[in-house]
Amino acid sequence: MISQRQSWIPAFAGMTDWGVIGAIPICVLFALPLITSLFYALIGAFDVTAWQALFAHPQLWSGLELSIFTGAIAAVLAQITAIIIVAATYESAGWGNLPATMGAMLALPHLALAIGLSFLIMPSGVLARIISNIAGWQTPPNWITTHDPYGLALIAALTIKEAPFLIWIMAGLLDRDDIKQDFKNQRAAATSLGHGSVSIWLRLYLPQLMPKLIWPLVIVFIYAATVVDMSLVIGPTQPPTLATVIWADINSEQVTNNARGNVGAVFLSIALGVCLLLAYAILKSVSSFCRQFLSSGPNPQSQSNFVGRANYRILVWLYIAVTALLLFMSFAQLWPFPHLIPTTSTRAWGLILQSPNALITSVGLAIATSITALALIILWFENLPQKSDQLLVLLSLAILGLPAILVGLGLYRAFLNFGLTGNLTGLFLAHLMPVTAYMIIVLVGPYRALDPRYADIAASFAKTKFEFLNQIKLPLLKAPILAALGVGFAVSFGQYISAQLIAAGRYSTLPIEAVTLTSGTNRPLTAAFALLLLLPPLLAYVIAAYFGKSRWSKG
Amino acid sequence: MKISRRSALQLFAASTLVPFAPAFAADWKAIEAEAKGQEVFFNAWAGADNINAYIAWAGEAVMKRWGVKLTHVKITDTAEVVKRVRDEVKAGKSDGSVDLVWINGANFKAMKSEKLLFGPFAESLPNFALVDVKGKPTTTKDFTETTDGLESPWGMAQFTFFADGAKVASPPRSMVELAAFAKANPGRVTYPAPPDFHGATFLKQALVEAASDKSIFAKPIDQAGFDTAAKPWLAFLDEIKPSLWREGKQYPKSQAEITQMVADGELLIGLTFNPNEPANLAAAGTLPKTTIAWQHTAGTIGNSHFVAIPTNAKAKAGAQVVANFLLSAEAQAKKNDLKTWGDPTVLDVAKLSGDDAKMFAASSVPGSVSLPGPAILEPDASFVALIESTWLSHYAKG
Repeated sequence: MISQRQSWIPAFAGMTDWGVIGAIPICVLFALPLITSLFYALIGAFDVTAWQALFAHPQLWSGLELSIFTGAIAAVLAQITAIIIVAATYESAGWGNLPATMGAMLALPHLALAIGLSFLIMPSGVLARIISNIAGWQTPPNWITTHDPYGLALIAALTIKEAPFLIWIMAGLLDRDDIKQDFKNQRAAATSLGHGSVSIWLRLYLPQLMPKLIWPLVIVFIYAATVVDMSLVIGPTQPPTLATVIWADINSEQVTNNARGNVGAVFLSIALGVCLLLAYAILKSVSSFCRQFLSSGPNPQSQSNFVGRANYRILVWLYIAVTALLLFMSFAQLWPFPHLIPTTSTRAWGLILQSPNALITSVGLAIATSITALALIILWFENLPQKSDQLLVLLSLAILGLPAILVGLGLYRAFLNFGLTGNLTGLFLAHLMPVTAYMIIVLVGPYRALDPRYADIAASFAKTKFEFLNQIKLPLLKAPILAALGVGFAVSFGQYISAQLIAAGRYSTLPIEAVTLTSGTNRPLTAAFALLLLLPPLLAYVIAAYFGKSRWSKG
Repeated sequence: MKISRRSALQLFAASTLVPFAPAFAADWKAIEAEAKGQEVFFNAWAGADNINAYIAWAGEAVMKRWGVKLTHVKITDTAEVVKRVRDEVKAGKSDGSVDLVWINGANFKAMKSEKLLFGPFAESLPNFALVDVKGKPTTTKDFTETTDGLESPWGMAQFTFFADGAKVASPPRSMVELAAFAKANPGRVTYPAPPDFHGATFLKQALVEAASDKSIFAKPIDQAGFDTAAKPWLAFLDEIKPSLWREGKQYPKSQAEITQMVADGELLIGLTFNPNEPANLAAAGTLPKTTIAWQHTAGTIGNSHFVAIPTNAKAKAGAQVVANFLLSAEAQAKKNDLKTWGDPTVLDVAKLSGDDAKMFAASSVPGSVSLPGPAILEPDASFVALIESTWLSHYAKG
């Protein structure tokens, strides 16, 4: 079994001095700047006039409903999709390739997926063009496939984008050699008791896995409920989601609108927190009911893998279609309906090649921040008890849950006061913050769940703490650590708002170039940048997936 | 908040009446000398590569002639810069990160009223003498706000519509005709939702056209006055709504999105503030060669865009040298050229020497405005918030 017991290693319990030292780096480089930024970001939350203005906003409640609806449905659908696909692939021939495939999908930026998907399904999009060429339409149909009032298109886009993230996390966990061995033994026992594969997943595997997947799922929900860029491309517009309303307010040049956006962000965060608590309470109250089901008699039903495989294939083909479409779009110049083939131009790619420095800065920052973050997190995990993790998780959720623009502005104001704008130190710290936050969320479950008996055994062989870490623990945790590095790299590579504010025009990163150049009409340029933003994280994920394969799955 | 109209006028009069002669030239020489070696961080919207290329060209010119290094800080939204300068000033940062900003309208009003701008400087730029202040009143009046020399005019804009001439043979030349056109082509016309700048302008244009008494737009208005004035406007919006794209229940987020939808064929009519944008896009191949552009017979809203220097700018001298170069006949002609940017000039071409004037010779190319209308002034600034809040309460829930 995976132990849920506290994994604070008893053999080293005396090292409280080390505890302090292990906590210092992450506090100085992550927690302190983060808390200062949050302070600056939320300083306006006590503005009564702004709260009154917020509650007078005609789109507040309809926007909130939409945000929670799209976020919750997308998170649930993504989790179900992830479980179905993982269950269908686990212990099968395709399992070894799953992390690499998911990594490739993860690398596609959210915005790129939204743009590609919307060009697939919108009334003047590719599907409509194919049909019109058969049916002989001359004008695009009046389809409501994107910007639909219920946010269904946004939910679809979010589900497609978040399912690979959850699969990636699940695969990282299931690829841990100890869990693999545990599950193998459990499966043998359960099979001999007459349980089929559906029963094994529902009664054995998932109840053990889900507690470790809870934070990634929370992040998916919060992300989905607060996303702005995808919502602008494919989401409802009148009313839009609350996050979009807030975003417009925070972006305004008017101080009063900024204040309303500021309290709006706090309001949305509180509302999402309440939703999560409600969900927790409901889950808790039904868990006793579910427990009966856990021990009910064997159910020999074996899942036909058809549904899972079909889901997997649909997902893969959607990503291939979107990427191919983006590639096509990057060369498309004029593409009037109902033509299937546009006039072409290589102008977009020519423009991109003019800024190689931005690419170099971005890659450098991504490597530096993801490795630093990993070191900080391991130092913390190794020196502090598990219960103190809650602090880090809470901080991480705060930065990931609040709108990026609000956190970005807080960060900017804080850094401004400490002379950290327009220089590389500031830029590095600004990237390190979200990278560390994401990596904490991704690592906390797998890292802390390692069976503490390993440490006991190591101690009994008189191994030092470092030897244990280096020779046993880290190799066991290789897959989740590499998965986290991949996520960290991609997160750093995608930073825009804080990067733009902190860089103050003194440095340029790829997202800064991409976002500013694509704020105009230029669809080919947008598509080309989306692809360029895809490539380095793609490499990072594929490398992580390749080296993260456990020894047993290589054979 | 607002500087009173009279004091602004006095300021303006004072700054233009200053005898320009020798003292002025010496001052300018000193500014040029100080500018040498400075790096000017020019914060400018970077969503169009032709504009970025133009700024790069200007950068080479000021480097060669005055030794000023011009760095284009690419931004998506000028409000970012307003916030940046506001925060820097609040934090007491005197060597600010922004030296020059491309600005107008609400962003200028915010920076002016919060005293975030350096100046007055614009009228003391040597090339300001070439500006057509009389013929183009918006060069000193930015969205009804007097510029008071706190920003230097850069280019002209006028609300313009465009379409593929192969699909729209006789374009609607008024809002009433546009409503009829929309009824005949349901789902093929729309406008961006405010507070998008173009969406707000579309609504202003509709308000001005619907009003029987146009004199109300020159003075501030209160809620009660607006409610009366807005009646015919709301009637028009109600009338056109069911014929709009998605039956007026959803609206695109920006003008750029509408332009893309016109190119794709999903919408029939696009809108822009740069009268030469359709021609420019037709030349770039983004819009078809059969593109036509027009303005309403009774006129459309016109305004200007400017460059300004934040109060905490580090390279103020360099920024003034750049602003002055941007006003030169050479830079304005290059900007006016459809092959580079196609942004109309703020200069009085009649004031220029023969050779300089020749550079502005207009040529009719696919997509240039074939049916022009006069430029009309923006309604008083007090209208904007009322237009947006009224629209939001009527149409925001789909």
